[in-house]
Amino acid sequence: MTTALSKVEISYIRSSLLSAPPLRADGRSPEDFRPIAIETGVAPLANGSARVSIGESRTGRETEAEGAGGGTEVVAAVKLEVDGVGEDKEGGKVICNVSCSPAAYPHLSSPALDDLQSDLTSVLGSVLSHPSLCPKNLVIVPGQKAWALRLDTIIFADAGNVLDSLMMACRAALVDTRVPSTRSVEYRAPGRRNEVSDDIMDVDEGRNGPSSLLETREPSRIVDFELTDYWDEGGVLEARDSWPVCVTLNMLPTMHFLDATSQEESAIPLRLHAMFAFPGGKPTLHGMRMAGAGTSDLSQIRILLKDAEKYARNMWTGLEAKLAEEEARRSIKARETVLWQAATITNTFPNA
Amino acid sequence: MAQSTFDRRRVNGPEESFPPMFDDEDDGGRGWTAKRCRGAEDIRPIFLQPGLVSQANGSAYIETENTKLACAVYGPRQSKTTTYSERGRLNVEVKFAPFSCVRRRAPLRDAEDRAVAIAIHQSIVSSICLELFPKSTIDVFIVVIENDGIEGCIASGSIAASTALADAGIEMLGLVASCSAGVRGDEIRLDPVEKEVAAADGTVILACMPALSSVTNVYQSGRVSAQGAMKCMELCQDRCIDVHAVMAQSLLSSRASMP
Repeated sequence: MTTALSKVEISYIRSSLLSAPPLRADGRSPEDFRPIAIETGVAPLANGSARVSIGESRTGRETEAEGAGGGTEVVAAVKLEVDGVGEDKEGGKVICNVSCSPAAYPHLSSPALDDLQSDLTSVLGSVLSHPSLCPKNLVIVPGQKAWALRLDTIIFADAGNVLDSLMMACRAALVDTRVPSTRSVEYRAPGRRNEVSDDIMDVDEGRNGPSSLLETREPSRIVDFELTDYWDEGGVLEARDSWPVCVTLNMLPTMHFLDATSQEESAIPLRLHAMFAFPGGKPTLHGMRMAGAGTSDLSQIRILLKDAEKYARNMWTGLEAKLAEEEARRSIKARETVLWQAATITNTFPNA
Repeated sequence: MAQSTFDRRRVNGPEESFPPMFDDEDDGGRGWTAKRCRGAEDIRPIFLQPGLVSQANGSAYIETENTKLACAVYGPRQSKTTTYSERGRLNVEVKFAPFSCVRRRAPLRDAEDRAVAIAIHQSIVSSICLELFPKSTIDVFIVVIENDGIEGCIASGSIAASTALADAGIEMLGLVASCSAGVRGDEIRLDPVEKEVAAADGTVILACMPALSSVTNVYQSGRVSAQGAMKCMELCQDRCIDVHAVMAQSLLSSRASMP
């Protein structure tokens, strides 16, 4: 994440940004992002996945002369596992993990890479694993079994602004996730097995026949579940518009800018990460971190927060539009798959 | 079939055992609804004693009700790495004692230790004049003896670290004071304890240098509105001025009592 820059280069970048109008190496304005490419459904074995690359999209790779190498590329994937649940918890949790591919950080030693991984994991985990964001429909059997959502992200390339890409990829992967629907199964007296759907729990006192007067146990509860869908279908996660996006504002004493390249990040170390979500249009702050050597003051932070909300709102609406497009594409693909399967069956068994 | 400590020649205890969990006697309500002995804008009283560890260059012990931690500063001393660095390095290591939390913590370092260490590092690094110590490292070691809320640990840790650095005589731009706040709906409470944090929607920690009116670290987690976060930060900054007075007083009286 830190490219080695000489003092002259650092001073050059700083004074260009502090000049009026602010100048950046690739000619962007301080509020411009590099082109962002998002794709969902990239990991077919995962319940939900997304790939985000900022800086150089796949199609732009023919023109090598653009910028110094590729952009930041991040993949996020969601796997759901069934987990037992303690008695006092509601069930369902989100566990995040970030791994940095050594190819992305060739100048970092192995322990430094581990440190970077654990730092990013703890930032992501403290935002996304917070109990206020836990979706309610991760419960399978209340009090016993629930889905544990494992969100794994890999950084394939880092050209600056990696936290914004990580949060965007996580949000896209979570919106893309499909939770398989389950149906609870209740075992009754041997010889009789009934299936109860999980929103109706009948308590029928007399069904066990003549029972001992000393039997004070509650009627048998739901002990198991079965999957009703195919594993790649299912319902969406609840509260999809609460997963936040991150805006990183790199701070200079008199101005700030977005989407720093790795040279800009080395030259201007102080930055503020603000994670915003807009459930129902209202802005909520889900995390704020200051990083890097340098001080600020409350008046600057107030201005930065207001601007961060504005930038986050733009990022949000753009991401929502793209995710809606991806979902439409996914449902078209699903329909085509079903039709293809039906056609294959009729072709194989023409008399069926 | 047990793998690790199965010994045929001895009578083995059970493979897994858990400590007993006791009911809280003074549980006057759950978390936020519990009546506080102090006001919503009051922090817990701070006991701060510099000069605790004699072999360290500087040290401090801080105690606020149920959060106790000790900090030792070693430095500036020579960097172990051979790469030349023009600015000094600050290395913060935090260790939670196994008996510091309700559930026993393993003695190995884990991710939460590192997260607290990074937060404290961010709070104090901008206050030290690291340009005056090329090729040197300043080590700050913090041991948490009792932990009542991670936010309180981070805030107290920053206070103790800054006091210990001053006790060690390291050149700084100013003392760093830190304060945390918990938010639930529209209600803001300063210096929340662990039960209040569990019941809160979100928390904010602010570290600042009151002498220069500058902010060194902001750490917010949970769900808070932007105006709520700003209000928390303003309340924290006002409270940090009082904390700064406590820190300065403790440093002066420890120096005065030295021969």
